[in-house]
Amino acid sequence: MSTPARRRLMRDFKRLQEDPPAGVSGAPTDNNIMVWNAVIFGPHDTPFEDGTFKLTIEFTEEYPNKPPTVRFVSKMFHPNVYADGSICLDILQNRWSPTYDVSAILTSIQSLLDEPNPNSPANNIAAQMYQENVREYEKKVKVVVEESWIYIGDLQVS
Amino acid sequence: MAEADSGFNYDPTKNYDDQICAQQRDIEKQITDEQSLVSNILSFDVLKTEYQDDQVFQNKIQDIKSRYKHMRKTRGDGNCFFRAFGFAYLEHLLKDDSDFPRFKEVASKSKDELVSLGFPQFTIEDFHDTFMEVIDKVGNKISYEEFFQLYTDQGISDYFVVYLRLIVSGHLQKEEDFFMNFVEGGRTVKEFCNQEVEPMHKESDHIHITALTAALGVTIRVEYMDRGDSDKCNQHDFPDGSKPDIFLLYRPGHYDILYP
Repeated sequence: MSTPARRRLMRDFKRLQEDPPAGVSGAPTDNNIMVWNAVIFGPHDTPFEDGTFKLTIEFTEEYPNKPPTVRFVSKMFHPNVYADGSICLDILQNRWSPTYDVSAILTSIQSLLDEPNPNSPANNIAAQMYQENVREYEKKVKVVVEESWIYIGDLQVS
Repeated sequence: MAEADSGFNYDPTKNYDDQICAQQRDIEKQITDEQSLVSNILSFDVLKTEYQDDQVFQNKIQDIKSRYKHMRKTRGDGNCFFRAFGFAYLEHLLKDDSDFPRFKEVASKSKDELVSLGFPQFTIEDFHDTFMEVIDKVGNKISYEEFFQLYTDQGISDYFVVYLRLIVSGHLQKEEDFFMNFVEGGRTVKEFCNQEVEPMHKESDHIHITALTAALGVTIRVEYMDRGDSDKCNQHDFPDGSKPDIFLLYRPGHYDILYP
């Protein structure tokens, strides 16, 4: 059945393939256009460099009028990412605009990695460390970068 | 102690966003179940029943009744101004197409204007396509029943509303020097658009109406039915001094359609 959400997701996918933004990729899962898997590569010259972070994106029939739910599946250490992988990012909540597509969502999350917003912390330890002890913060980030390589599909939430 | 009494212990490591969203979804679902996007034609008796024990509103309903024949309600989902505007104006064009060629030209040009203002072409196109499809159908003189069905299809109707929001956002940004004087809270016009205009379900104010009527060259009269002392509703024409194409009824937080 073609609904506006599904039609739009097909367009988003086509655009992502034809005009892929640097450092992110995403595709619908095999049997469900409403659930996507995505990968964000840690941006160069940041502590997240070389990380290959996996995410899931779940859309509702209200997309693009409502934002999808985006979660990191790979373990993440970041001031704006909760322990369950969900992300505190204004454009995914109250500042969502229907003009965003999957490409814009993923590049925004990619920018968030190196530009955290310590004022709305989802992970207090990470937020505090980011402000008070950058070296320790970077060490912790390095650990999740390395863990992102050996991810083998364990969905268990720590 | 207070926390224990309320039975709720805030855990700062937990993510409450999902719960808040779920609660919001429940409220939205209730509204969706109870109110149609746009109602059939109604008599003012429905308002009288709503404000049974309220003399201020009863007087004002009487005033409206003396000047208008009937009304149509829209769903109270935060999009009511845009939804009412789109319905009332397209219905107006179905009855009187003298303004159609002008409106169609403004509507089709609007996409390139938005793109030149920096809106992403890819997504703008998606909304603009649907927007123009609806307008073309009205231009092809579909029947009222077909129009009603088209405009109350949630997917199509929401796309139409989104595009009207984008037009408002574009106009506010284009005329930033003027509108920056009306933006509250120390925000830039761009921030205001990101927070109060583009997201669905954000309610509309004077500034949205001013921008939309200016951008599309459509005129509106709004009748304000509020707690003010007068026995009559205040009215305001957008733009000032124009002859209105369509008529809307404002009650605090909500817009419906009026028919003279």
